Amino acid sequence: MCNRHRQNSCTKRWMGPAFAMLAVLALSPVMLAQTAPKPATTKTQSAVPDFSGVWANITPTGQTFNAKEDPSFQLWADEKWKLNKNDNPGQEGTNGKVDRDPSITSCFPTGMPRLMTEVFPFEIIQVPGRVLILFEKDYAVSHIWTDGRKLPDDPDPAYMGYSVGKWEGDTLAFETTGLKDVTWLDRKGHPHSDALHVTGRMRRVNHDRLEVDWTFDDPKAFTKPWTGHTVYRYKPDWILEEFISCEDRLLHGGESLEQKAVKGHVD
Amino acid sequence: MVLLNRDSSSNTSDSSTGAQMKTKLLGVIFLAAGVLLLGASAAAHHGRSNYDVTSNITVKGVVTEFEWENPHALIHLDVTDESGKVEKWIAETNSPTILSRQGWSRHTVKAGDAITLFGHRVKGGANYINFSKITLPDGRELNPAVVN
Repeated sequence: MCNRHRQNSCTKRWMGPAFAMLAVLALSPVMLAQTAPKPATTKTQSAVPDFSGVWANITPTGQTFNAKEDPSFQLWADEKWKLNKNDNPGQEGTNGKVDRDPSITSCFPTGMPRLMTEVFPFEIIQVPGRVLILFEKDYAVSHIWTDGRKLPDDPDPAYMGYSVGKWEGDTLAFETTGLKDVTWLDRKGHPHSDALHVTGRMRRVNHDRLEVDWTFDDPKAFTKPWTGHTVYRYKPDWILEEFISCEDRLLHGGESLEQKAVKGHVD
Repeated sequence: MVLLNRDSSSNTSDSSTGAQMKTKLLGVIFLAAGVLLLGASAAAHHGRSNYDVTSNITVKGVVTEFEWENPHALIHLDVTDESGKVEKWIAETNSPTILSRQGWSRHTVKAGDAITLFGHRVKGGANYINFSKITLPDGRELNPAVVN
């Protein structure tokens, strides 16, 4: 069994097939003839863990980063949270209320870090100096800069925010700031402010499993930092499709058929 | 035809509270103690706070249109009650991105298909269902649930 406590064996297990594939490619005259010289950056790329591929959220109660404990909210945020949380009988603790969800009712982009709690997959692409996370939902992209740059001092708030990271052994340690406060922090409906500072530590604990440890520091909204943990499964056969949250509203006059049905109209 | 199934024994997340269904349902109403409820695994991208999750209904009708759109695929169907009266229904399920990974395509459901749907009715009693199971004309049962 490959797990976080047996990282070395995990790494070796992945390396076997990888070396086998490289050997096949190297022995192929056709491939040799068609393959251009490897760029100098290849060495840098091979020196860091490989998280590339499509990943699907398999976190138990995956609509949030921490199902056991809600953030300790400041008063205003707590009032907002009480309005957002789902108190539908049988659904307590699940997704927030549909009629409070900014990505549904107002068609706001889902934004970070909430996209990491969605049911839709994401794809990680690693290029020199940057890790890209492409999300199926909203077709949004998170750029985690790993070229040594610092976070901007006074960024214009953005839905995806600004992210920098660095490789620490098997871990991508990253930070995200500069987030707009109109989004939910997660699918459960936890609110946050524009002071939210996200810290993530991402590791591929085995070939099929990616895990992230989170810390959310938001002094405007929380009385103390909130922590969490999410898990994703490798999906080598999947490709990202196109998920646009508000297509139904665009097609049906600004209101989804579900919204109309709640009001008693089905046409 | 529309049937009401009220059962909390086999569903872990959509438990019944015993609340009474306020809306008038078409057709036969019966209790189905042994029905397997699929709601727990069929969670959509958003919550179900708009639905009466304390019970499930079964809707049988004929498809008039299949909308393969985001964020939910929609089936429009005509439902005929025992008196011959036809009512318009809309059935919502997961997104095309999720359904396509379950083997669906935009051609899976076609106008004219006689289908049976199983799921939660929208609160307030409009003819709108979020379904967790569909039976196609050839008898195949498809599950639209998220499988990550």
